[in-house]
Formats: sequence, structure tokens, C-alpha cells
Amino acid sequence: MNSPTDDPRGADGLDEILRDPGCAHVPLELPAELHAAGFNAALKRIPKIEPQAIPLLGRAPFVPAWKPHWPRLKVFRLTFPDGVEFLPTKPEPDANEDARPLRSLKPPEPDEGSAAPQRRTRLRPPADALSIEDRLFYVLQPPLESWLAGQELIMPFEPFPYQYQGIAWLFSRKSALLADEMGLGKTMQTITACRLLLRAGRVRRILLICPKPLIPNWQREFKQWAEELPVVTLEGDTARRKMLWTMPGIPILIANYELMVRDLDALCEEERPQFDLVVLDEAQRIKNRDSRTSEIAKAISRKRSWALTGTPIENRPEEMSSLFEFIEVVPPRGTPDLRQLQKLSKEHVLRRTKDLVMTDLPPRLDRDEHLQLNPAQELAYKTAEKEGIIQLNDLGESISIQHVFELVLRLKQITNFDPLTGESAKLDRLAADMEEVVASGGKAILFSQWTRCLDWIRDRMQERVPECGSLIYHGGVPTKQREPILSKFREDPDSHLLLMSYGTGAVGLNLQFAGYVFLFDRWWNPAVEDQAINRAHRIGQKSPVIVTRFICKDTVEERIDRVLREKRELFAAILGDSTASNRSLSLNASEIFGLFDLKARHGKGTRQIGPQSEEADGGKDAA
Amino acid sequence: MTAPRETVRLGFLAAIEHPADCFVGGLLVTNHLGRPLEFQCTTPVRPNATQKILYGPTLKPFVLSELIGKTLFERSEVKPDLILVEQPELLELRAHVALPVACLGDGVQEPALVTVGAVEEPFAIGKQRLRIHARHDGDRDAILQRCHLLPKQADLREPFERVRDALREVLAPGAAR
Repeated sequence: MNSPTDDPRGADGLDEILRDPGCAHVPLELPAELHAAGFNAALKRIPKIEPQAIPLLGRAPFVPAWKPHWPRLKVFRLTFPDGVEFLPTKPEPDANEDARPLRSLKPPEPDEGSAAPQRRTRLRPPADALSIEDRLFYVLQPPLESWLAGQELIMPFEPFPYQYQGIAWLFSRKSALLADEMGLGKTMQTITACRLLLRAGRVRRILLICPKPLIPNWQREFKQWAEELPVVTLEGDTARRKMLWTMPGIPILIANYELMVRDLDALCEEERPQFDLVVLDEAQRIKNRDSRTSEIAKAISRKRSWALTGTPIENRPEEMSSLFEFIEVVPPRGTPDLRQLQKLSKEHVLRRTKDLVMTDLPPRLDRDEHLQLNPAQELAYKTAEKEGIIQLNDLGESISIQHVFELVLRLKQITNFDPLTGESAKLDRLAADMEEVVASGGKAILFSQWTRCLDWIRDRMQERVPECGSLIYHGGVPTKQREPILSKFREDPDSHLLLMSYGTGAVGLNLQFAGYVFLFDRWWNPAVEDQAINRAHRIGQKSPVIVTRFICKDTVEERIDRVLREKRELFAAILGDSTASNRSLSLNASEIFGLFDLKARHGKGTRQIGPQSEEADGGKDAA
Repeated sequence: MTAPRETVRLGFLAAIEHPADCFVGGLLVTNHLGRPLEFQCTTPVRPNATQKILYGPTLKPFVLSELIGKTLFERSEVKPDLILVEQPELLELRAHVALPVACLGDGVQEPALVTVGAVEEPFAIGKQRLRIHARHDGDRDAILQRCHLLPKQADLREPFERVRDALREVLAPGAAR
């Protein structure tokens, strides 16, 4: 193979060609030889190159590039409704300005150096709030403590933590049954929740229905807890009441049950008012779903329904169904079974008892002393019972609750002591217990429903345990002498026993220095017993309170105790509350007849009998 | 005619990082007593791999401040007088909005605050101490002037709990609008 330099023109010739490519002419007569190996000599030829002039590029045709692109953000917005603003009330004019005490409603500000963590009660969305707007409304509300405590809304007193929880619970509920034990502040919690709902713009028109005697109480409580809220009470003649029912701009209208039924019954469908919230106080008034009161209450057009009662069940679980129907968690005429009632109670009922919320109180130790009657006492009892039942049966159709009731009272008196012989198993036990109380320097309170029985105990105890220094306090004691008796019991170290009647001593007294309570006989209703016990077991008590109930075996006392216990258990089964104390637990007519296997002759099985109030005492025996 | 009641609107801006590697921000505007007036939140922002590489350590401040914070402020109908943040990264928002932005911080200078240029000396409002951006030290006077209505015991941290709870509520499975 020849190299390019073999060309006859040599390297210079190639250079020449390259220098002037535009007119290059490659001669075809270049020699071509065929080699033995078969290579074409043409391969040796100088390649034909035709270069072209191309202008230089201004910029590179491809550059990898990245722009920081972020998608446009979407935003979800929730605007809160304007709350109802109420002007603060003007102070009442007073001629003697200087003499009027300054009223400071603001709670004291906490110490600056206070390191205690601040408690916060946050509002939580209810389970039935499905839309995100609804849920966020609750989540974004400030904690109740900062909302209420002197910042925006002024509270006259700092609520207890359980009350904050109750307010938060009510605030977020469309359907609520607040069943707190009596005295825990259902009224205050309801008023404050209403106040917050109005302020938050969640409701604008509230109807509160309560029994007529409670109207002044509600008015007073509104004045105390929500001074700025305009409250209108339904009263006056028919025309005025009609105007009040339909007048817009009344934030809170208070009406009693009777007027509600009368007025709303008279209004035609189009005239009937609409409310954002209807509150029924003492809601057990609608427990009978067939009653007109119940029907009218349930027919009121409303967005939220709250029921308040300390006694959601009086006798039968079905009574709860009517309340659940009002708060619209069961359909009209729905009949939930016990399991369903329990489930509904968990979801829609809030019930707290004193034991649950007053955790700083020392414990109350209850013991039931089941005593065997003394022989003479037992003979007297059996004779009286046998004769009494025979007499009742002889009465036939003319038998009344009063006849049975009289027999019960007579038998109960014999269980206290035999009037003929003076034998008393209870007194024997009391004397033994009091010796211990005196020895330990303690003080005891004893309750009985009979003033004569109290006098009898005092006389006997003076004979048997004279060092116990018995004092008497009942309706028969003149009012002027009562306070010195209490003072003596409180201050005299030799006074160890105070004998009290349920009617006079059960309410309003602070005897928290007494560590022992004896219930010599049983009251008809454990609620009254609880009130009596709470004279000693109350705030300020430093040590446990020992409560002794005397119950004589194989007597009517045992049977009454069983009925009351069953009622408490029924209450507990549905509400999970074993410490129910309310008047509804009192024995009714059917149950009194049942004590002697007799049947009530006249319907009205739920009518309560027996002394209902402390007026029953008043110096006379409860019977 | 009565004079309009004096008030100040506080914006509480917070963002949370979702386990799915995305950010959601919320702005709660309240009155000076903490009552909510408006709440806004964004849809989740998920940076992709390229964005993460290219933004590097500036990714979070960028997403939180410029993307989320600025958007929320611009779209709000109830404009706050002051924006409070807890996360130092959000202090960068001040470069993009024309109102004071302050970060809640205790007395100790947090490294993250130094990074974003917070000033050295915090000042107290309510129960908290605030820091502002070093390039906007005039904000301090503006904030002090506007916040005189706030109660001495006002807890400025508390509303952030509400914002975070609300964001969690929004992100919860099944949250329907």
C-alpha cells in the first residue's frame, strides 16, 4: 500500500488541495492497484473532503435548566360568627353611694411568682360533629379558664374543675342530659354554657322551662352568673305572653311548664316559636311520654336540647327513654332496652356525685348493723305484725295506703324499743358503741324520725352511759335554745352525743367535728339520710366519718332496706352511679303495699308516700 | 354614637410536619383576649426530591415562611396587626410581609434564632418573651405599642396549641369539608 506521500505530487500536492477546497479537483486517474490479498487500492486513495464554511453559533442549542416551581397553595378558611355583645348592666342607683359596698366581680389575679401549672379546660368537638368546620369551631375556642377568668367574661366565683368540665361538655352538645347530684351546680353550669354559646354566636334564642316555684331561683342565678344577659320571664295575660313567645331579640326566655303547655297548645303551627336551644329543668316532669307536657315540650322547634335533672330515673328505666326522646337521641316512641340505655347514657348523660368531685373529703365508712330483736321486743313485734296484717286483710277493698303506712310506723317503733318492757336491741348496741366513742374523746350524732324516741334514748343513755353527756336537738326544742345546744356540743368536751330528728337536724347544720353518725331508724328515702350524714361528712371534716345504720333482722326494716337498695342498684345499672341520692328513691305506694305482700288497690303506683319534708317534724312525730 | 372599642388582632402562625413528609400551616387570628376571629390552613405541601436537594437547609424556612406563611397572610380576610410564631424558621416571614412578626422564645438565645437573624434581646409581652428579626428592629416598638391591651397574664403560647390541634384535626383521616 502506498502512503499519501507516494503521490506523485507528494505532500505538497495534498496541501495544495486542502488549501483551496472550493476548487479542488481530484483526478480520477489516480493509479489503482489490486493487491494479492484482494484489498482494493482505492482504499488508499485520499478521502474526498468537501468542507463548508459554517458560521459560529450564538448560544448553545441545549442547556439543562430547572425552575423552582411550586404549585399554588390552596387555603381552607373558617370565619367565626360574631357573638352577641351585651352591654354591661348599670349599677342600681343608690342614694347613699358611699355606703354601698364596692362590688368587685373579677377574681383575684394569680401571683406573678406562682409556678403552679395553669389548668386548662379545652372544648372538644362532639362525636356527632362531622363537618370540619364544626369540629374546628370547638377546637379553636380558648380554654374555659382564660375565657371566663376575668378576661372577657367575668365570673363572680371561680368554678370547681368539675364545673368547668360540665360547662365544656354542655357547650359542645346538641343533645345533653345533665344529671349531676343535687347541689353540684347544674344551674350555674347551664347558665355559663348558655352565656358562652351566646357570646360565640352559636345560639341567639334560648328557652328555659322550669317548675314555677323555681323561676325566682333561675332569675337570681342568672343575675349572679351572667349579669349582662337580658332574661325575660314569661308572665302576664295571654296577649302579652303570646307577644313574648314570638318576639325576636329575646336571648333568654324563662317559662314554667304549665304556661308552656297552655300557650303553645293555643298557638297554631305557623305561630309556634323557634329556638336555638331549649333547656328543661327538672326534666323528670316529662318522664311520662304520653303526658301533654311531654308532647308539647318535644314539639318545640329547636336546634339544641338539654335536659337537667338529678333524678333521670324515678321508678322505671323506661322513664329515661322519654328524656332521650326529648334530647332527640332516640326516635319518637323508641323503646331502647337496658343495654341500649346504658350506651345512650354513656354518650349523652353527664352525672357526677359529691363523692366523685369532692375528692379532698375524708372517706365515709358505712356499716349496717343487723340486730336481732330482744325476746320481749320480738314477741311484741310479731304480735303487732300478725294482728296488723289481719286487720288490713279485713279491710278488703277499703284498704288504703294510709292503713298500711300506719302499720309500718307501728312496727318500726317497736324495732326501736318495746313500749311495754323498754327492751331495745338498738339501745344495747348504741350504749356499747358510745362507751368506745366517749373513751376515744369523739363525738357522735344520732338521728331518729321520732322526737319521743329521742327523748327516750336520752333518758336511757343517761342511766347507762352517763358520761356521754347526751344533748337533744329537734323540732320540739324552742328555736332560741337550739344554737346554745349546738355550741355546747361543739365546745364542751363532756358532750359526746347529740340526738337529732331527721326533719330538724338533717339540713343546714355544720357538724363536721363529729366523727360518728348513728341512724337509729331508717328514713323513707336515703337522700334524707345522706343529708343527715352530710352534717358531719362535709367540707372541713378532718377524719373519716363512721356511719352506723341500725337494721333489725326479720323486720319491716330489712324489707324497706332491700327495696331502697334495689332502687339504688337500678339507678346505678343505668347511670353507673352507685351513690344516687334523691327524693325519687323514696318508697312509693306499691312498694309500701309490697312490704306485706299486699297489692295496691288504687292505681297511681308511683305516688310517693311518707313524710316529704322537714315540716313533717316540727315537734310532732313524723307519722 | 359610641367610639369603637379598641382592640388588637393577633395572628398565631404555626406549621406542623406530617409523617408523610409534608408541611401544613395554619394561621389563627384572635382578638386580644384570645377569642378566635378567623382560622386558615393550607393544603399539605410536599417538597419533591429535586427541591430537597437544591434548597438544602433553606428548604424548611422557605416552605414555612415564604410559601405557607405568606400565602396564609395574603389570603386572610381578617388581617392581624401582628403575627406571632413559635418556630424560628417562620420568622423569615417578616421579609415578605409588611407587619411585625415576633417569635416566642425564652431568655436563652436559640441557635435557630441566630440563624434566621433574631435580635439578641427579647422583650416581654403577657407571660412570654418575644424576639424579632434583626433587620426589623423597629418592630419592637410597634409591637409594644399595639399590645398594651393584652392582659398581663395573657398566655401567648396557648393559642398555638389550638392551631396545632386544628391542623391535626384537618389532617386526621376522614376529615370532611
